[in-house]
Amino acid sequence: MAMEGIMESVALDITSSTKTLFETMIMLDLQPDNAFFEDDTQIKTDVIGMVSFTGKYHGVIALFCSKRFALKMASNMLMTDITDFTHEVKDAVGEVSNMIAGNVKTKLTPQYGEMYLSIPIVIAGEGLSITAVDNHPVVADTTISCFSKDPWLMTPFISNGEKFNVGLLLKESNK
Amino acid sequence: MPKVLIIDDSAVMRKIIQRNIQQSGLLVDEFFEAGDGREGLEKVTSNNIDLILCDWNMPNMTGIDFVKAIRGSGQKSNIPIVMVTTEGGEAKIEEAKNSGANGYLTKPFTPDQLKSKLGNFLLVK
Repeated sequence: MAMEGIMESVALDITSSTKTLFETMIMLDLQPDNAFFEDDTQIKTDVIGMVSFTGKYHGVIALFCSKRFALKMASNMLMTDITDFTHEVKDAVGEVSNMIAGNVKTKLTPQYGEMYLSIPIVIAGEGLSITAVDNHPVVADTTISCFSKDPWLMTPFISNGEKFNVGLLLKESNK
Repeated sequence: MPKVLIIDDSAVMRKIIQRNIQQSGLLVDEFFEAGDGREGLEKVTSNNIDLILCDWNMPNMTGIDFVKAIRGSGQKSNIPIVMVTTEGGEAKIEEAKNSGANGYLTKPFTPDQLKSKLGNFLLVK
């Protein structure tokens, strides 16, 4: 199957897996938007939760979101108001990424073969700033950028007034 | 009353599982936690655990290796184990059951799904 065709069907799997997760364990409304290929090699964001996988196909599934949205997800999952970006918030983002990746993997396995998931990794920019003229520090809108040579398949969502993306890098192995 | 061990590398997930059990009306005397299979084995050795909930993908020792280790451990080999994991699909469920898991629940789950799965092993108030 052509990679474009694979990606269309995978985007639907990402949408349904993410919706199920938000309905069952995060309790936030979720509006999906149309998936697209991210042409920019530098993806700017606050927080990345990623799970890689190997098998006949290999790649990465990643959640890109703002710190504010990460706090909201963690607060809802733990049923408590979390205002600081603690280790617990990173743990929650890792679990969200893990559950999305696991369910996408389950949907892909019958067609694309067994895949093996990694432990989730969470990367968050903290306390970064750019220095503007006159040495006045200016806090950037986003704090980290993620570089990739291949374009991410991005599935965008809006929840609680915040946009976030679930991205996928997928390649057939041994090619 | 039963003692329940929750093995998951995510402390957040351990909290969610414990909260769901407490709110479900299932009777539990005490909860124990472990961050991977190796730590889980230590908790089983040093405590009288009645039910184990175990994730699959974890550092140091995976859930499936933990299940195999427990089933080959002699005195503690009959403790019921329910896998609670993002690993879905028939092949994975079959592998877990063949290794000795007594139940299987895929994340994400609802509180009712967890209660239904654990109702086979715990009494309700």
